[in-house]
Amino acid sequence: MPGHELYNLPGLRFLAALVPFSLAIIGTVAANFPISVTNGFLPVPLFGLMPVYFWGLLRPDLMPPWAALLVGLSEDLLSGGAPGIWALSFVVSYTFIDRQRDSLASLAGYGAILGFATALLIATGAAFAIVAIYYWRLPPIAPVIVSIAINVLWYVPALWFMGKIQHYLVGPLRSDF
Amino acid sequence: MANGSLRLARNRGGTPISLAVCAVLAVILVLLGRVQPTLFDRARAFASDRAAPILEVVRVPLQKVEAWAAGLANIFNVYQENLRLKEENSRLRQWQNAALALEQRVKRYRLLLNAVPDPEIGSVTAHVIGRSNRPFLNTMILDAGRRQHLKSGEAVVDDRGMIGRIFLAGDHTSWVILLTDLNSRIPVSIEPGNTQAIMTGDNSAAPILEVSGQGIHLRTGQQIVTSGDGALLPAGLSVGKVFWDGGDFRAGLYADAGHSDDVRVLDLKLPAEQLPPVSAHDLPVTAAGLAPLTPPPPKITQPAPQPAGGSPATAAAGHPSTMEPPAQAAAKAQTQTSAPDSDQSPDDQ
Repeated sequence: MPGHELYNLPGLRFLAALVPFSLAIIGTVAANFPISVTNGFLPVPLFGLMPVYFWGLLRPDLMPPWAALLVGLSEDLLSGGAPGIWALSFVVSYTFIDRQRDSLASLAGYGAILGFATALLIATGAAFAIVAIYYWRLPPIAPVIVSIAINVLWYVPALWFMGKIQHYLVGPLRSDF
Repeated sequence: MANGSLRLARNRGGTPISLAVCAVLAVILVLLGRVQPTLFDRARAFASDRAAPILEVVRVPLQKVEAWAAGLANIFNVYQENLRLKEENSRLRQWQNAALALEQRVKRYRLLLNAVPDPEIGSVTAHVIGRSNRPFLNTMILDAGRRQHLKSGEAVVDDRGMIGRIFLAGDHTSWVILLTDLNSRIPVSIEPGNTQAIMTGDNSAAPILEVSGQGIHLRTGQQIVTSGDGALLPAGLSVGKVFWDGGDFRAGLYADAGHSDDVRVLDLKLPAEQLPPVSAHDLPVTAAGLAPLTPPPPKITQPAPQPAGGSPATAAAGHPSTMEPPAQAAAKAQTQTSAPDSDQSPDDQ
């Protein structure tokens, strides 16, 4: 590979380790940027959860549980909601990814998207349950379903993008095993 | 690309212990958030203040795209829309005349009744620079904050009705919690009948109406206005109309938060009650038929010139009028001059 010697620089290796977490934070910021092309008609996807799922599954050393907690916390902070709801939901979803890593990692094609949909369903379901307990009444289910559908649709290009990042940036710089 | 096509790094990250620690931390955060909901407020206000210039710049082209898209959808029914608007305009003119006449009548009644004036309502006009539509959250960001004297709890309205309340005011920006949001609960009054209710958002487009009194039946089409209970929101702000969705009575909101670009933030200033001036007849002793208590005479510090053989006490007793205030003295003189008249009986006259 041309420029292979560059990949052995410790600084670059450290930066590569930051890429998944940084992408998750950037995704959270982008998702909570309060500008909507659809004028608020469609809910914003959980861009922060996509890198958490992808690298939490593929490279848990680069996306540890505390990273999922921090991404969820930043989602709470920027979205304007009650503190801790998404932080706990992301950790619950990460627990599912951690427990089912073997079966989820073997999924390909539509299966990979289905895997994300399952993790998303768990995160959103956890958030739904926490909100229901928090406010002691059931939130409407329709916006949640629309949100899940939007997230799954967005995961298709996001998966392609994250695959490229993993293939050309994170993988070569962190291929120590 | 499939996940399976990439190499899997196993057992490098989440150990059960760290996962458990993170889960405990997250639960603590939720509980902390429940106890202290304003935990993140300063950070949020800081973030929105810093992002405000970017949001304003990005908002301009997006607004144009939105306007263009909206225009494209309406281009096929312009003629019908024009006819409908003309008809609506003529009806609204009739209502305007009726409203003006009623306004004058109410003013006259207020003057006649010497009614307590309505609270003064100041307002600040602000631009909407951001909206957030999440499954459990409906908020809006405005480009005005504490520098423009906005405060938490103030009502936000557009030209049709109430949109929400400010729940966080930064230096230059404010977060608005919409009426449809899960956290929104405002006291409303349903007209006619002055039925008091709580309007509760549930993240759907139409908030639920919870009537507190028993045996009260709402009807579709009744008007909903703010009740002003708690003195947080002005009373009488238009909110919407009552409708039945098959399970609950809900509020069909007049305001359209999704399309409002400029809104007004109302600052409710409750006036200090203007008490009428106090007269002597308002004093309890006067009302009881007793004479008002005369204030104690001031002490004379400067010794008066002593007449030969006279003591200071007799001197003072000999000149009582010098120790009375001028007004009291005048009143006393008037009473004394009118006393013979009052002693005369009607028969004598």
